[in-house]
Amino acid sequence: MAGYKPVAIQTYPILGEKITQDTLYWNNYKTPVQIKEFGAVSKVDFSPQPPYNYAVTASSRIHIYGRYSQEPIKTFSRFKDTAYCATFRQDGRLLVAGSEDGGVQLFDISGRAPLRQFEGHTKAVHTVDFTADKYHVVSGADDYTVKLWDIPNATEILTFKEHSDYVRCGCASKLNPDLFITGSYDHTVKMFDARTNTSVLSVEHGQPVESVLLFPSGGLLVSAGGRYVKVWDMLKGGQLLVSLKNHHKTVTCLCLSSSGQRLLSGSLDRKVKVYSTTSYKVVHSFDYAASILSLALAHEDETIVVGMTNGILSVKHRKSEAKKESLPRRRRPAYRTFIKGKNYMKQRDDILINRPAKKHLELYDRDLKHFRISKALDRVLDPTCTIKTPEITVSIIKELNRRGVLANALAGRDEKEISHVLNFLIRHLSQPRFAPVLINAAEIIIDIYLPVIGQSPVVDKKFLLLQGLVEKEIDYQRELLETLGMMDMLFATMRRKEGTSVLEHTSDGFPENKKIES
Amino acid sequence: MAAGGGGSGDPLAPAGVPCAFSPHSQAYFALASTDGHLRVWETANNRLHQEYVPSAHLSGTCTCLAWAPARLQAKESPQRKKRKSEAVGTSNQTDLLALGTAVGSILLYSTVKGELHSKLISGGHDNRVNCIQWHQDSGCLYSCSDDKHIVEWNVQACKVKCKWKGDNSSVSSLCISPDGKMLLSAGRTIKLWVLETKEVYRHFTGHATPVSSLMFTTIRPPNESQPFDGITGLYFLSGAVHDRLLNVWQVRSENKEKSAVMSFTVTDEPVYIDLTLSENKEEPVKLAVVCRDGQVHLFEHILNGYCKKPLTSNCTIQIATPGKGKKSTPKPIPILAAGFCSDKMSLLLVYGSWFQPTIERVALNSREPHMCLVRDISNCWAPKVETAITKVRTPVMNSEAKVLVPGIPGHHAAIKPTPPQTEQVESKRKSGGNEVSIEERLGAMDIDTPKKGKDDLQTNSFPVLLTQGLESNDFEMLNKVLQTRNVNLIKKTVLRMPLHTVIPLLQELTKRLQGHPNSAVLMVQWLKCVLTVHASYLSTLPDLVPQLGTLYQLMESRVKTFQKLSHLHGKLILLITQVTASEKTKGAPSPGQKAKLVYEEGKDGGYGMESRITTFSFQ
Repeated sequence: MAGYKPVAIQTYPILGEKITQDTLYWNNYKTPVQIKEFGAVSKVDFSPQPPYNYAVTASSRIHIYGRYSQEPIKTFSRFKDTAYCATFRQDGRLLVAGSEDGGVQLFDISGRAPLRQFEGHTKAVHTVDFTADKYHVVSGADDYTVKLWDIPNATEILTFKEHSDYVRCGCASKLNPDLFITGSYDHTVKMFDARTNTSVLSVEHGQPVESVLLFPSGGLLVSAGGRYVKVWDMLKGGQLLVSLKNHHKTVTCLCLSSSGQRLLSGSLDRKVKVYSTTSYKVVHSFDYAASILSLALAHEDETIVVGMTNGILSVKHRKSEAKKESLPRRRRPAYRTFIKGKNYMKQRDDILINRPAKKHLELYDRDLKHFRISKALDRVLDPTCTIKTPEITVSIIKELNRRGVLANALAGRDEKEISHVLNFLIRHLSQPRFAPVLINAAEIIIDIYLPVIGQSPVVDKKFLLLQGLVEKEIDYQRELLETLGMMDMLFATMRRKEGTSVLEHTSDGFPENKKIES
Repeated sequence: MAAGGGGSGDPLAPAGVPCAFSPHSQAYFALASTDGHLRVWETANNRLHQEYVPSAHLSGTCTCLAWAPARLQAKESPQRKKRKSEAVGTSNQTDLLALGTAVGSILLYSTVKGELHSKLISGGHDNRVNCIQWHQDSGCLYSCSDDKHIVEWNVQACKVKCKWKGDNSSVSSLCISPDGKMLLSAGRTIKLWVLETKEVYRHFTGHATPVSSLMFTTIRPPNESQPFDGITGLYFLSGAVHDRLLNVWQVRSENKEKSAVMSFTVTDEPVYIDLTLSENKEEPVKLAVVCRDGQVHLFEHILNGYCKKPLTSNCTIQIATPGKGKKSTPKPIPILAAGFCSDKMSLLLVYGSWFQPTIERVALNSREPHMCLVRDISNCWAPKVETAITKVRTPVMNSEAKVLVPGIPGHHAAIKPTPPQTEQVESKRKSGGNEVSIEERLGAMDIDTPKKGKDDLQTNSFPVLLTQGLESNDFEMLNKVLQTRNVNLIKKTVLRMPLHTVIPLLQELTKRLQGHPNSAVLMVQWLKCVLTVHASYLSTLPDLVPQLGTLYQLMESRVKTFQKLSHLHGKLILLITQVTASEKTKGAPSPGQKAKLVYEEGKDGGYGMESRITTFSFQ
């Protein structure tokens, strides 16, 4: 006896954006907590040591926030003017900040008054950082100079006057205590060595540099300025590796994910883009409400903090993973149930009888098997099925049509049931993948129900809707046909060109072939 | 009154426009807008009472204004203002309004006479006047300026009584103590001066940015057992530019404590502050702070010493437009100023645009932490002026004079430090006696030109938006551009878009063509436009077929059903006509009971039968 063959459900490619691992990872954050600061948030910096507090520089204050606190746990407000670039030391115990009046101040995290004040810059200091040996501070200022300071003596060690415009960003190497990098509005990024008096490397970014970043290995340098993010290979003497242009306004801040696999850039166009550091393609992007000035990622990407021009600090925490584990799992048979007896080796006189594996049939298949066609159709017209898997519904309609019983299955329905069918048609008729089947079904429905039309206002309305839709679709397809004509013209000109070129090729090839033949 | 300065290019200038309620009964509200006009509104019925344009209104914009204390015969309640509490003005000060300008002159305007009373120029400031305060008793006027000096004026004689250097940088705010013997001045730090000797009595830390407002909050010290020397123990309030904290300071006998006693936190920079004074120890001070974001924060607090944490507001008031229908979402209406009425239980709110503000009295409900008032201001745009009672004077302007349209950000009146040509303009003003109605002047100011210019503006920005959206792949931005129905706009945009964005646009359109016909039809418009406009460019592309192959296939697969669909559509049309017809016949008695065509077989037919009637009826 031939067994029942289940209806083949046609699969269609899923439309829309592809969901990647990155999308899942970067979407896995809670709704942002918004904190209003006193002015534009120019810098956010995470302490490298637990409990991973972060310092926020806005207006003339530096606030230090805890991981989940929405109130600052500490405030440094003893600035006469706007403060800039509050940065933690590697051990998380000291904090250095520049200021609009040209001073650089060093704070103890537990203290209130500055431990050291480095005087020497004549204009606003926009960037400060600790060197890798923890005992020096590098600062760059609007007076075009870069200075290196000694923390214990509070004295100036070196001054570099190589930039010809404001120095607005910089960072020190994490490995070598003598190396640091500064970016300036004169379009250059320079690498300085404290052992020499001059810069050791200079690269031309092409736009005023707003932010620089060194990879943890120190081999790659990322600079941001204008709409470009550029990656340079320092070991090859400053060769440009990649130039990225994915923002439509100036890129203001850069940040690396904790694994070093992703690069983040924030811009005045209110977006944060995530790049893969292997392919340098955009793998994800975040939207924010205002222009972004500063961006920081916590340890293990637990938190994304973004500071904006309107003084709002947006803090996103990663969703905790524990919740997913707690879902109750259905108890399934143990593994040995499935392998029971399978490892039995056949002896010489044994006759092996295979019991045919029990076929699991879907409910609609079971109905179809027993020729309960109306019921099968009812089952797939259920809202749970039509919304989630419309392809099943369409496949069943197609199968019924193939059997020639679609008219029977559709007939004899009351107002409610017929409106279900019509709803489905209205929803899916315009999709090209379903259209051929559904148009057929629609014609059959009209044929069947033509005599009773006008009896139910609900159904009449549905027919009106359907008619409107079909009209629109026809207009649309007419437009498409016109466009197709245009494209045919375009392609025709192309073909002619190709054709001529092909002819030339053959004419060129002919003598060669002859030679080979001869 | 605390009044904000005029908007200038200076980033540290206070936000908001200078405005003030008249003292004692708050019958009037004076507002000096950035286009140089001084308008006085009646608070009771929201009418324009007077309008005055100073002669040099474009070069010397009004930066601050202050009402003179009320006349002697007007007995006012002492609660209103501490510095006007024992107001004994001289009789010739007739509701004067003092205006400070950006060029350093001070104008005295009489609201009773409706004209300029006098000018204080000689020996005064040579830079922007930041704040003006009237002395409540002596009829003196104090002013401070960007030129670092404070000047004491004799108003009757229009002469400088005394001028001294107040700070190392510009002096931005002033306040006179309740007893009239001390003066507070502030740049970034706050100083307390003894008025007799002009010596500094106390220093206070102040703010990081220029202080925009100073105000005494109490008249009597909190501890009444000690003898009161007029100043010790009093509290005062200060707000600064770009600072969300309002600080409260106490004048102490010992000169040690320099930090603020307490602070109030608000959501944005304060632009207007008003408060009620507490009579006794138990009654709290009520404070209304208008912020730059258009909200009003109300505080109610008994000032009794040091408080570490910043206090948050008890009540916040916002005003929004009603969201009519689905499409228009409620929009916030900015509040410009707020003043307590004399009963302390209601608040006068000024909101809308400074060009045509609406003034409303709102009762206070202290229990609700948030009040959102829904007001429709769209219909009160036409300003109504009772010409009979106003004395409007319009300055005669020569043809080169450029009138700046109010309300466009970044277009403030240019401040030129050139000395105004006073005599010439004076004489011209007298000749300009004919009154022009405000409608005519509005027409002259081209208020409604943005509507006409909208098309140009959009086509200018659409290609930019489209390019930006394609480059950063911004879904929202692309939606904004691509979902336009205006065919002209589409054409213009496609014409002006840069060539390198053509292929990205085609790819984006490919994505969007797959959707519902409703939205996809718009995309076809774009596609056709691109193909027609950029046909020559496209045909030069070497890899055109692979680039557009998917698009072509997609379209081709979609139109495959065209024939069947048309067939179905025919059926549906028939069906629908039947439905509508049956509905019609149900609704109204059918007019044609008689058949349109009656065919009777002739009697002379070969069968000789009774006449058989065949009826055809047409609809």
